[in-house]
Amino acid sequence: MFDNGGSSLKVGAVTVATTQNTGLSVEYWADRCLDKILYVANDSASPIKDQAQAYKEDIRRVLVAYIGQAIKSDRTTLYNLLLRQSQGDMAEILRKEL
Amino acid sequence: MAFTGDFLCTSFKQEILVKEHDFTLTTGDSFKIALYDDTATLTAATTVYVTGGELAATGNYTTTGQALTNVTPVTSGTTAIVDFVDEVFSTATFSAMGALIYNDTHASDAAVAVLDFVTLKTATAGDFTIQFPVADATNAIIRIA
Repeated sequence: MFDNGGSSLKVGAVTVATTQNTGLSVEYWADRCLDKILYVANDSASPIKDQAQAYKEDIRRVLVAYIGQAIKSDRTTLYNLLLRQSQGDMAEILRKEL
Repeated sequence: MAFTGDFLCTSFKQEILVKEHDFTLTTGDSFKIALYDDTATLTAATTVYVTGGELAATGNYTTTGQALTNVTPVTSGTTAIVDFVDEVFSTATFSAMGALIYNDTHASDAAVAVLDFVTLKTATAGDFTIQFPVADATNAIIRIA
């Protein structure tokens, strides 16, 4: 006997993350990026799940480091942009954040 | 009228069967996400982008919303899934109760999905970020099982 498998068209639920007077952290974006790259199902077999989690944590550390470097590079770009616009004080604020 | 849940718009279900939506990265259609307050009347019966209840163009929100970045649909087991890259409304100062994803390339700005945030979400001079669910067979934003 054939089983149609209960075919359906469904929508998932989004989550909203908001901040007050600041942006989202490097760690937040690293975690979001990781969720897109590697998803470990809760019902995965234990040894495989453990290995995958360890691998995921390794990637997370790399992502945090590189996203942080990208932000610093962008601030350097902004620092120079502000200097060219004769906004030395504002440029200095950014430089101190580097 | 408040939001009453997440819906794939009924019109969208018909439209995908007559090739009116293409979620392919880069070469596909352009999809946008617009934000709404609690006065919006968005349901499964919503067929196109609507302005009623949409946030005003203040606090760094632009009416008609922001363009999403497509992720080319894939399959997971026997389920086809659609995903988008998380969308950030930067330096935002506004509150929203829900959202509408619609096809900005479509001649009538056809509605795709109504998203209910359940509670009012507020950002103040910060990031207002829409996180799309894990792109798997049980969670993805659009799933054909």
